[in-house]
Amino acid sequence: MSTRVPGRQLHRAMRTPRVAALAMIILLTACAHASRAPHAGSAESPVAPAAAPAAVTEAGSPPQPAASTPVTEPEAPAANAAAPVTAPSAPVASSTASQSVPGTSKSRPTKPSSGPKSAAVSPAPAPVATLATATAAASLPSKEAAAPPLDLKGLEQRLRDTRAIGLFTKLSLKNQVDDLLAQFKAFHQGQPGLTVAQLRQKYELLLMKVVTLLQDGDPALASAVSSSREAIWEVLTDPQKFAAIGYST
Amino acid sequence: MPARSILGLCGLTLLGLTGPVVAQAPSTGTDLKATIALNGFPCDKVVESKRNADSDYTATCKDGNRYRVYVDAGGRVVVKKL
Repeated sequence: MSTRVPGRQLHRAMRTPRVAALAMIILLTACAHASRAPHAGSAESPVAPAAAPAAVTEAGSPPQPAASTPVTEPEAPAANAAAPVTAPSAPVASSTASQSVPGTSKSRPTKPSSGPKSAAVSPAPAPVATLATATAAASLPSKEAAAPPLDLKGLEQRLRDTRAIGLFTKLSLKNQVDDLLAQFKAFHQGQPGLTVAQLRQKYELLLMKVVTLLQDGDPALASAVSSSREAIWEVLTDPQKFAAIGYST
Repeated sequence: MPARSILGLCGLTLLGLTGPVVAQAPSTGTDLKATIALNGFPCDKVVESKRNADSDYTATCKDGNRYRVYVDAGGRVVVKKL
């Protein structure tokens, strides 16, 4: 008996903290519900447009784009205008620019997670920024692909200077380039012979040879040649541009 | 001793890293192989090459085919199967 009494007392003593803990838990859950309830109410009531972008960044749900896309449009050009400044000429630098942009977009979403709890108005700029950076990141590759500056002389010089291919190979390539240019000249002069499709095939084949020869020893030049493919083709097929390069047999 | 070995390892690593930076010109065999292939002949690997004169070589490929590779008077690279 004497041993059971302290046990009951201990039980009784333990009950009060349990009850207190239970009360605390109930209070906390009530507080949590209370803190959520006003947000839900505010999202439905007048501040709905401001709360909608916050939901886009957190969950990425599709119903809100109608409200979020018009907001990003004014900011997107600014981000796009800034992007080419970071990568003016070298295509390699653009990869670093594109890497830095997602970095900012990664850091931004942490803010809205804490934002909606404190205020309903503050989360609005952060989603706009995230969406703007996201659109900027998405538009970066298209800009690079759209306007690669063609520097024929520079490419030619780089091909001459590269140590990735030997002298015989360079001379063989030069022979084949000269042959193709002669065929283009005949085509522009209206001589019967190859069609544009056939010329394109020959051009593609030659370019593939060049890129294949370069890609191991000089990958930068290989990618430069490869990315200039369409621009060079444009020069070759346009009679005025072709005449401007001053090719003579 | 560990510090020395670490330093030595770093030095070796740096030396190893400079390899790809300083690009080397391809060997004659590689050049001839690429030239033969560019001119439409099969050549897996040049196993032997003999210099006949300036810009004039005889190359033996792994498959046994022999080619004469030279630059003609017009500046064109010519590959002739021997």
